[in-house]
Amino acid sequence: MPPAERKSLPARFEPGDRVRVKELPNLYYSRTQMYVRGVIGTVAVCTYTDLKPEDEAWSRDDAPYEQYYIIRFRQKDLWAEYPFDKDTLQTELPDSWLEPVTA
Amino acid sequence: MAHDHDHEHDHDGGHPAAPMVAEVTDFEILEIAVRELAIEKGLFTVDEHRKFTEWAESIGPASGSRLVAKAWTDPAFKARVLADATKASLEVGIDWSQPTGFGTPSDYTEFRVLEDTPTLHHVIVCTLCSCYPRPMLGHSPYWYRSPNYRRRIVRWPRQVLAEFGLILPPEIEIRVEDSNQKCRFMVLPLRPAGTEGWTEQQLAEIVTRDCMIGVALPRADRKADDVRPVHAALRPVPHEEAGR
Repeated sequence: MPPAERKSLPARFEPGDRVRVKELPNLYYSRTQMYVRGVIGTVAVCTYTDLKPEDEAWSRDDAPYEQYYIIRFRQKDLWAEYPFDKDTLQTELPDSWLEPVTA
Repeated sequence: MAHDHDHEHDHDGGHPAAPMVAEVTDFEILEIAVRELAIEKGLFTVDEHRKFTEWAESIGPASGSRLVAKAWTDPAFKARVLADATKASLEVGIDWSQPTGFGTPSDYTEFRVLEDTPTLHHVIVCTLCSCYPRPMLGHSPYWYRSPNYRRRIVRWPRQVLAEFGLILPPEIEIRVEDSNQKCRFMVLPLRPAGTEGWTEQQLAEIVTRDCMIGVALPRADRKADDVRPVHAALRPVPHEEAGR
């Protein structure tokens, strides 16, 4: 279903914000890759609002929509011994998988 | 070849010769089961399924090549592509809402085009499964769906690109785009030198599928339909002898 005029939770982040991916257990289904859990990245793009995968997988169509973001990570933050300073990786995550990073 | 027909039933141990079959995965069995249930239930017919499969498998990367060539020659179109690629796709004849009316293949998708610059190179992957901009590029190559590529391109992108023959200096940022949700991505590579004054049609011919995945760069001297090098056989058999 296209994200039309659905009730959506407010977006908590905007491009440039620093965020950390939450360390949560997998309950049956998730699209949040293990390799980004607990890692700090930067919001690159606000994309669309939609159900989060955990709700969609169980057809919880009445659950609220959430803002999705493309998050940019430094490869050196994802992999401890990564040797190239400039390289980055982007992936997409819904609002509830992110927590703000201050300072 | 060394055996003749007399030996055909002459196997030991009583085991009949097993036919060669490819291994079928659990997911393929699941797909067949769901498909057959849907046909029994009357959601679609066998013929409709075949027609859809033929249509889906007939899509190739030509639309993507045209999109890139048009973006190289028309700055206003490039701006529209970068602002809203889903909408700009209509200008090269691709409607992302088709065939279901709300998305392809079965769900809402948002198409985004990643623009390379002299200091930034993109490469796409889906670490979770096989997400790929299918309306624009057709079916993904088999290696794109392999765990080998999916695991390693995020962890060792420069080494994997080197295996494809693409070696980039460390000054160029490599950005891996993992399409794990509903965005689908395609790379808009840099227009190569030596293509000044080319038409859109000429340019489209050098934008191969791999250039839009990000594992190759377009070159003025390489087209998708170039003649492959032919290596002579070590022991050639003339056709008139082979026919006997």
